[in-house]
Amino acid sequence: MPLDTAALPEPLAQIHAVVGDRGLVLDPVDMEANLVEWRGMWRGKARAVVKPGTPEEVAAVLKVCNDHKVAVVPQGGNTSLCGGSVPFESGEEIVLSTQRLNRIRAIDPLNYTMTVDAGVVLETIHQAALDADRFFPLSLAAQGTCQIGGNLSTNAGGVNVLRYGNTRDLVLGLEVALPDGRLWDGLRGLRKDNTGYDMKHLFVGAEGTLGIITGAVLKLFPRPRHRATAFLAVPDPEAAIALLAEARAHTADAVSSFELIPRLALDFVLGAIDGTSDPLDGRYDHYVLMEVVSTATGESDLLEKTEAFLGEMFEKQLVLDGTLAQSDAQADALWKLRESISEAQKDYGASIKHDISVPVSRMPDFLKVAGERVVAALPGIRVCAFGHAGDGNVHFNLSRPEDWEDKPFLAEWERIAKVVHDTVAEMGGSISAEHGLGRLKREEVLRYKSETEMEMMRAVKRVFDPNGIMNPGKVLDA
Amino acid sequence: MKVLVAVKRVVDYNVKIRVKADQTGVETQNVKMSMNPFDEIGVEEAIRLKEAGTATEVVAVSLGVQQCQETLRTALAMGADRGIHVKTDEELQPLAVAKLLKAVVDKEAPELVILGKQAIDDDANQTGQMLSALLGWSQGTFASEIAPENGTLHVTREIDGGLEKVDLKMPAVVTTDLRLNEPRYASLPNIMKAKKKPIDTMEPGDLGVDIAPRLTTLKVEEPPKREAGIKVETVSDLVDKLKNEAKVI
Repeated sequence: MPLDTAALPEPLAQIHAVVGDRGLVLDPVDMEANLVEWRGMWRGKARAVVKPGTPEEVAAVLKVCNDHKVAVVPQGGNTSLCGGSVPFESGEEIVLSTQRLNRIRAIDPLNYTMTVDAGVVLETIHQAALDADRFFPLSLAAQGTCQIGGNLSTNAGGVNVLRYGNTRDLVLGLEVALPDGRLWDGLRGLRKDNTGYDMKHLFVGAEGTLGIITGAVLKLFPRPRHRATAFLAVPDPEAAIALLAEARAHTADAVSSFELIPRLALDFVLGAIDGTSDPLDGRYDHYVLMEVVSTATGESDLLEKTEAFLGEMFEKQLVLDGTLAQSDAQADALWKLRESISEAQKDYGASIKHDISVPVSRMPDFLKVAGERVVAALPGIRVCAFGHAGDGNVHFNLSRPEDWEDKPFLAEWERIAKVVHDTVAEMGGSISAEHGLGRLKREEVLRYKSETEMEMMRAVKRVFDPNGIMNPGKVLDA
Repeated sequence: MKVLVAVKRVVDYNVKIRVKADQTGVETQNVKMSMNPFDEIGVEEAIRLKEAGTATEVVAVSLGVQQCQETLRTALAMGADRGIHVKTDEELQPLAVAKLLKAVVDKEAPELVILGKQAIDDDANQTGQMLSALLGWSQGTFASEIAPENGTLHVTREIDGGLEKVDLKMPAVVTTDLRLNEPRYASLPNIMKAKKKPIDTMEPGDLGVDIAPRLTTLKVEEPPKREAGIKVETVSDLVDKLKNEAKVI
């Protein structure tokens, strides 16, 4: 049904003039998916959901909003884990979705780059790269839904950070709509460009508080042609980290993933997820899922070399038992064990989650100390610390004691988070490794960052967004 | 009881198949190859028979190029005792495979031969049946459960109408269906032990078998692409299209 544009209040009428019927959603039913955080932690309201069809339209919409001082919540695939992509409950904001900016603009195989709109779904980028015999390494659980603009705005991490870096390391240029209505074309595909401040890096990880990324030039890599995927039982986290150090050296730094899985997480998955089975005969306390890749063309001895290496590690007792996938189907089944942990954990009651990082060398120490402290703070709490140990990032997720109810347990969130985050700070770590701050950790970060650093962040915000319309109340105070 | 298991090296189940530009077959150069999943089930079943004390020895046999030895190593790492590799670079069609396997059976004298019901590359579903005919042995195809008992093999078969139970006189040929078992992962210690297990290598000539192809492949092409759906504006549009374009009403 066409909109009754004559009756639209400002600024919606002006926005409608920019984006047309297709770009303006006012029906609460149609807006629903854009207003709710996907895990249901937050449910916001908005005046409208705006879906511009071009970068120019994004800039023009921002100008209208800036003129009317209307707050804008930029949104990609809405898979954020810290509430950065959903509006507040006031209903005064508009949500600006990049969903319709979904073109792959260009692929330059010789420059190993791809230029994309911000709204392209990550998995679509993977496929486009493969079709050009190239590889885009950013890989995370939400890849079928999340958009590259959101990945950039949160500087997302994922399972390949160990070898390829996080999103910040994978971008060469950006196009950004600024709050005052200008469109900055920084779509340079250069690996060397020392011409002053590197502005793109301000927008990466800014969670839409400075402007809206509308396009990007991404780095591509040679396509991995061979992979060796191993599921290994290790004596303890110390051994896991020692194993990682050996593996990196032995494989000429070709370890692409190194994920820590505690027995509790494996038990959760085996109990809750259909079609999973324990790859090993015995029970062990700690496991590692390791993947080594080779981009070499032609025949590869990757599997034999990895076998030989793991044999050595077995003899050194850094590995107690393990299996090496004999087919891609087996490799995928092993990965499923890792990727199902978050989902499986839901079946065992509420959990208090932390996305933290520490220097890789401090990881074993962190797990031990933080584990002891949370158990002391709340006896019976079940520590399910899993994830990207290879890059110093673990999801330190704590399930409620078996005999507790969800609600009183979740009421302990702040108290427990402080115990965990204080331990992180002692060890020189970060309270948000790859998920960002959003609205979830906006207050929490004040305890751990110096006033100097917070003031630098606020100063940057004032320069780009003097009226404070860009995603207010996220990352920084409104 | 000695058990012989046939294992075929095929393009990995997860690889997207591409047809060769000259339409003579599918691309296998630089493509991940693995053991045929139905054969993996066969190996698992044989090992279970051995673990249960029913089988005394499990021999894995693979036919084809040099790299079939990798597939045999996988079988050995899962728990087979030794391997036999009949090496040839020639194309092997089901009849040639059945003849080669018969020659191996004549040499090895197993009481039970387990094969996958089909290989996921050509989906021929012929080798097991041909082998049983050449040997003059009983056959239990598409098995979802097997139980040997005093010279008889109880086999539950998956058929269209449900499950069929047959009793075979041993020796027998069995082909596996998906639900027979869930194959194990090869453990690291077993992968290392497998390197020391023996693999006998021979050529089709040594077995006195003529493997010349009886069939000629004319052309291999991709299935036609499915066309994207469309939205119709009204019910009468839909009826019109069903009548005049799809011609289904």
